[in-house]
Amino acid sequence: MPGPIDLSIWFLGTAFELLFVVCSLARKSFLTYLFLNLYLLISIAVSTGRFVFLQSYGQGSSQYRYFYYYSDALLTLTLFCALISLYSRVFGELRTGEYVKWGAVFLLLGTAGFSYAVVAQSAERLSTDFAYELSQNLYFVGLVLTYILWGAVLKLRETRTRLVQIILSLGLYFSGYAASYALMNFSGRFSIIRYICPVLGCFLPLSWSLTILRNSEESRLVPAQLVAVPR
Amino acid sequence: MSRKLGALVLALGILVGAMGIKTALSSNSKGTVMMANGPAPLPFPPPKPAPPPTTPPPSN
Repeated sequence: MPGPIDLSIWFLGTAFELLFVVCSLARKSFLTYLFLNLYLLISIAVSTGRFVFLQSYGQGSSQYRYFYYYSDALLTLTLFCALISLYSRVFGELRTGEYVKWGAVFLLLGTAGFSYAVVAQSAERLSTDFAYELSQNLYFVGLVLTYILWGAVLKLRETRTRLVQIILSLGLYFSGYAASYALMNFSGRFSIIRYICPVLGCFLPLSWSLTILRNSEESRLVPAQLVAVPR
Repeated sequence: MSRKLGALVLALGILVGAMGIKTALSSNSKGTVMMANGPAPLPFPPPKPAPPPTTPPPSN
């Protein structure tokens, strides 16, 4: 079993995920942010499953490892859908919903095809490696998509506070994971990311919950005032 | 039709960019798989395969 710090972070993170769902229900925003809620609900279910596997087989077991990575692939797919739903909301007023949908489908198929091409060279690895190759690639696609969405929010002068803060949190989350991925690859030491990744997993639901709690759907950001010199 | 083509080209561009970032970040990779959703503890990396047993030199 992992140590008390790991378990504390885990339980805290799961509590934050539950908090977001409860806050959404309380503020009557569950359907507005349906895919974000679905992602966190699936994450809670996956956390329960991971705990059962961890308790039964241990952290170093292949059972836990397989369950962890396959459930991670499922969660990444759900997060991708949540990200696309944010795209639909940002671009909703431009009536480009259909093209966002097409773009998302192309992107998902392209990522799946690329992941398949990477693991297809080894038939014995195909069944095991495809899920986490797809998940890993979707992470980086999500990272780029979030940066593009940041750009679109700036360009379109989006003022919906909740939407802007949710997108900013997601960008920080993806960037944090990309940074920890780079850190681990450069150092080659697992111990470095042992606490970073679970803490990042707590950050996202906490920031989303605070956004839902502190801002209503009607809240708007005050755009930066232009420097205007009166004549 | 041209807008759908535009969406396809944009999707390909995003995919190429994402894989480029991944390649850049994992240039020093030792085959590590790194991704995580949620706060659960990461599984330990699989143990490295043991080196083949060395046979003792034949005694004369």
